[in-house]
Amino acid sequence: MTQPKRSQLEDILPLSPLQQGLFFHALHDADSDVYTAQGVLDLEGPLEAATLRRAAATLLRRHANLRTGFRQRKEGSPVQVVHREVTLPWQEVDLSGLPAAQAEAEAVRLADAERAHRWDMARPPLLRFLLARLGPDRHRLIFTNHHILLDGWSTPILQTELFALYVAGGNDTGLPRVTPYKNYLAWVARQDRAAAEAAWRDALAGLEEPTLVAPQAAGGDPAVPQRVRVRLETDLTAALTERARAHGTTLSTVLQLAWGLLLGRLTGRTDVVFGVAVSGRPPELPGVEQMIGLFINTIPVRVRLRPADTVADALRALQREQADLMPHHHLGLADIQRLSGLGGLFDTMTVLENYPFDPDSEGADLGGLRVRGTGGHDASHYPLALAAVPGERLSLRLDHRPDVFTAEAAKRLMRRLRRVLSAIAHEPDLPLARIDVLDDDERERLLVGWQGPAVPRPDGPWSITERFAHHVRTAPDAVALRELTAGGPARSITYAELDERANRLAHRLIGLGVRPETPVAMLVERSAHVVVATLAILKAGGVYAPIHHSYPPDRMAWAVEETGAPVLLLDTVTARHPFEHSAQAVVVDDDPETAALPATDPGVVNHPDQTAYVLFTSGSTGLPKGVAVRHRDVVDLALDTSMRDGAHDRILCHSPHAFDASTYELWVALLAGGTVVIAPPGEVDAAALERIVAAEDVTGLFITTTLFNLVAEERPAAFAGLKEVLTGGEAGSPAAMRKVLAACPGTRVGNVYGPTEATTYTTVLSMREVLAGGEQAALLGRPIDNMRVYVLDAGLRPVPPGVTGEAYVAGAGLGRGYLNRRALTAERYVADPFGAPGDRMYRTGDLMRWRPDGMLEYVDRADFQVKIRGFRIELGEIEAVLARHPDVANVAVIAREDRPGDKRLVGYVVPVAGREPDPAELRRHVGAALPDYMVPAAVLLLGTLPTNPNGKLDRGALPAPDFGVLSAGRDPDGPEEEVLCGLFAEVLGLERVGADVGFFDLGGDSIAVMRLVTRARQAGLEMTPREVFAHQSVEALVRARGRDGQDAPSLEVLLPIRATGSRPPLFFVHPAGGLAWPYFQFQRHLGPEQPIYGLQARAFTSGELPESVNAMAADYLERIREVQPHGPYHLAGWSLGGLVAYEIACRLQAAGEDVGLLVLIDSYHGQDLDAAKREVLPELLEAAGIDAGMNADGAPDLDHIMRVIKERGDAFATLDEDGLTNLYRNYENGLRCAEEYRPGRFRGDVVFFTATRGRPAGAPTARGNWQPVTEGQIEDYPVDAEHHLLMEPAPVAEIGAVLAARLDKLHSS
Amino acid sequence: MTNPFEDPDGTFLVLVNDEGQYSLWPSFAEVPAGWTVAKTADTRQACLDYVEANWTDMRPKSLVEAMEGRA
Repeated sequence: MTQPKRSQLEDILPLSPLQQGLFFHALHDADSDVYTAQGVLDLEGPLEAATLRRAAATLLRRHANLRTGFRQRKEGSPVQVVHREVTLPWQEVDLSGLPAAQAEAEAVRLADAERAHRWDMARPPLLRFLLARLGPDRHRLIFTNHHILLDGWSTPILQTELFALYVAGGNDTGLPRVTPYKNYLAWVARQDRAAAEAAWRDALAGLEEPTLVAPQAAGGDPAVPQRVRVRLETDLTAALTERARAHGTTLSTVLQLAWGLLLGRLTGRTDVVFGVAVSGRPPELPGVEQMIGLFINTIPVRVRLRPADTVADALRALQREQADLMPHHHLGLADIQRLSGLGGLFDTMTVLENYPFDPDSEGADLGGLRVRGTGGHDASHYPLALAAVPGERLSLRLDHRPDVFTAEAAKRLMRRLRRVLSAIAHEPDLPLARIDVLDDDERERLLVGWQGPAVPRPDGPWSITERFAHHVRTAPDAVALRELTAGGPARSITYAELDERANRLAHRLIGLGVRPETPVAMLVERSAHVVVATLAILKAGGVYAPIHHSYPPDRMAWAVEETGAPVLLLDTVTARHPFEHSAQAVVVDDDPETAALPATDPGVVNHPDQTAYVLFTSGSTGLPKGVAVRHRDVVDLALDTSMRDGAHDRILCHSPHAFDASTYELWVALLAGGTVVIAPPGEVDAAALERIVAAEDVTGLFITTTLFNLVAEERPAAFAGLKEVLTGGEAGSPAAMRKVLAACPGTRVGNVYGPTEATTYTTVLSMREVLAGGEQAALLGRPIDNMRVYVLDAGLRPVPPGVTGEAYVAGAGLGRGYLNRRALTAERYVADPFGAPGDRMYRTGDLMRWRPDGMLEYVDRADFQVKIRGFRIELGEIEAVLARHPDVANVAVIAREDRPGDKRLVGYVVPVAGREPDPAELRRHVGAALPDYMVPAAVLLLGTLPTNPNGKLDRGALPAPDFGVLSAGRDPDGPEEEVLCGLFAEVLGLERVGADVGFFDLGGDSIAVMRLVTRARQAGLEMTPREVFAHQSVEALVRARGRDGQDAPSLEVLLPIRATGSRPPLFFVHPAGGLAWPYFQFQRHLGPEQPIYGLQARAFTSGELPESVNAMAADYLERIREVQPHGPYHLAGWSLGGLVAYEIACRLQAAGEDVGLLVLIDSYHGQDLDAAKREVLPELLEAAGIDAGMNADGAPDLDHIMRVIKERGDAFATLDEDGLTNLYRNYENGLRCAEEYRPGRFRGDVVFFTATRGRPAGAPTARGNWQPVTEGQIEDYPVDAEHHLLMEPAPVAEIGAVLAARLDKLHSS
Repeated sequence: MTNPFEDPDGTFLVLVNDEGQYSLWPSFAEVPAGWTVAKTADTRQACLDYVEANWTDMRPKSLVEAMEGRA
């Protein structure tokens, strides 16, 4: 019988958690080079290679864990298998024949090759020896192993033992017994893993993000680290040791605090994490000090840098946290990072190298052999790693990846670290915020050198009014204003004229009680009147407070109330849209009292520190806040070097008055004797811009980033006549700037930045030179004259260049504060620690960093303020409005930029349980309270808002709105529809767009409209923004374009609004004026299967006026039956149209036809409309929102009316004078017909809409008026609008929703 | 990074300058030159309430004097 062969397997053991981590990576990482460690020893003196080889073999025999392989069990769990015997991988190479340099090179190559060796984890040993003979008595021993076997602490133990064995000729009888690694494994098995996980989870709870000094360096080939070393002075070392002792902690903890602080300053964060190498050798394990194997671990150390904590506080906190975690060091880093939920937590680490052996033993004499470590590789390649070696003088070594930190940068870091260490050592009671890391020269650059130049201002008047008066005196005939009107000729207004007009109005204001610092609200369309009124308010001593035109009425009312203005200035256009206020209204272009007042200056002297204006900006709490800016601030901007170089003497004024660009547009020219060129009201598109710039020799203008980018795309040469175009408001696009610079070789592009609170511009940078240098970011440059921008950390310390901090603006131009908001002012305009005594600085909330060359770079917002189309928006304000909706339980609003350059607001709503609000209704809800630019492009309903592991809203996890779902609808029909559907989709960033879906329902806004028009033009389709606004869907646009090649909607009697669809059509009869255009809007609200036609007065095409409602009905009925020979018929009409629809319905029933739906929109019969005596035209125009403007003799001023209509930029603008005259004739005739109409009987239900606003006393009701003649039910729906405003979008939406439901019901069977 | 002025748990001062302008101020930071402590360390809200109650005229003192002297 043969003895069973002795098993090759000595033992099978589990893996420690750290081994498991490495084994996992070894199996799964293609490149496991990182887990190979190598030690290199130069051996000088006579060497017996065979003896060394025997010693190495003994080493393997002694230590079971050097004979271990790793495999997975069938069921997947890993085991380590200890082999009884393994062959020693030993290689000898003789390089002594080579010249020394070549031998050295070859030795290095061999070491590299050893490191590149691929391990088979299952086949031990996972280590290799290579002995290279470099010369007589010169050898190099290269020891390479997989990191899973050994850690850095083990290597010296192993080396010591190797050479002890060498000296003993390979015999180990004199050596102490080995404590096996399995003892450690047994210890690990006894540890409570769940407790460790809980402890680490707690330790990292609430951590918001990893701390990465070089996020861009992750991945890619790490460069070989370089090294900076310092040795601290004896006394500093002693002081640090004493500090540790005094707080019952270790030098290691002191170093960790220092590194954490430095890391905080490098990353601009107050909660940082970095790795710390720990020995991982549990002290309670006997013999652990002399064990070899893998114990070492890298654990995350988290340092919270509360600026108010003292050094002592922070040390205590860190010590406590570290002590609590000590028993849990056995958990692998990968597991710990997984528990954090953040992935890789850090990219820097520290280690205190208190290896358990005597560092002086290096170089010891071993039988004439001297051993010297020449290097080696360990497994970490972090961008920054700090190693400290204790001693009388603490030695610090900073390993840095040169691709991330240059040697110079690393040295600077070392200086900062030394400063931090010194503060910790000597000033335990110092708040962390006061520890300074800056070099003196850095501080000087940050606070002085890179700031706006201190330019002494000339003596002289510092109020706007006196500056202006100076130019009136010196050049009264110079042109102050050029007023452009749409279509009409431009007018010049001299300084003297402007002065006189403003003086008259100023007298009027004083008469109304305006005194120094009295606010005067104003809502005036862009025109010379704006300038006159603004100047007049200042001349009266008052403060001008422009109200934004796009505010809904309630918000306008609120704003006027908030200013406390006793007077509100309007013009004849804005006066047409009344809102509630208690101020005395003055219509500036129609105020006979003003005209009668003297043209002389009222003689009010303004102090430069008086407030000149108040501009409202979005406020996070749900209400806007008024920014108060002084006369001095405005004058200062106007006199700035950047404004007085000739480029800003003839400035185009085209921004809304309530936007802070108006400061630049009005005063920079007027306070320097220049000219303001005033664009016509409404949005100015690229073509108009180009025309105006050329025709008016404009030298400078400001344009928001969004518009600039658009013009750059559409007409980059539009700015060619300018000396400088300023752009800003959002992060600029270098690509767009390059385009403009290339197309306009004589024009500068100035990138401007500045909060309203610091008077419009704080920094200006001419981009031509910057971009020519290859710059990829739209830098902000440096502050303008006498202004300063501080980039500060959470401790209010200037951050070093390259580090992101929050920008604070100080110096000239810092306004007074927020109107009536004391607390808000005290928290935003705060004490300036770096300026003159008593100075304030404004906390912008903008995150920035300094480039090493002293250029400011914008990074992000610190809060939830965003900019959309140049408007500053607090998301909280929109959230507050959404949250007020009764169906809304929870809400978040974010600005998404799912496509670069296309920023849109999206609302996320968690509805109240059981409710499912209509997103469109939620958008309307916001639109009723906030300006249009604050209405989210989409509102999404969610079950819950996503949160991150810390329970905070996870903005990144909010889904992108799928405008594609909304964009269903019918496929395009015909080439033109196809092209347009494609363009819609392109501009809106959608896969496809249906032909019958509205542009604005898909998230389109006015900027998108301009883009669409540009694209269409490039595709050979001429269209205007106005047409898009009027028709909205592709089909409507194509149809509108189809009519005789005209842009205007048709004047034909039968107007096809949507000619396609499977259902019986709905016919809308025109109101008194005769046009059915307003009914176009119903396309949006009635589905694609619902055809819609309008009926329009015959007068537009034939000039004939009908005798009566009956005559109209007979006429239209013929047209209707051409389209639809038989019922059911659906009929509707607004005002007079309702009467005609009613009559048509009666006639159809008489003819035996079925009437499905009869809709009367605020129509009444038998009313005395006083037709003979009414001033028809003004009333008619008012219904269309047009100011009729009478001549002095009371006759309608047709020229004026045409001009106003043209400027409105809507469908009415396409009417010519004949059209307008016919509108007038129809209306007059319609009133008469309505008065005379006597309805017959209708057998069926009537759907009625009552306009509930502005109803005169005794007005008829739906039932009172119609029940007597109708046999069916009268369903009366109230609509919160005035009769003549029923075709505004909001009421149309309400009516449309009812009609859609009714039609659906009719056709559901 | 929490802005030091936004820290809801922070301790603050209220500072005032010669113009009678108020500033919220985190207590850990040195009081800048030209400012004096109007209200010693307290919660953020208490400090803001103090400002609301005590900053009666938002015009700087020198302006008030100039305007009244002129009137």
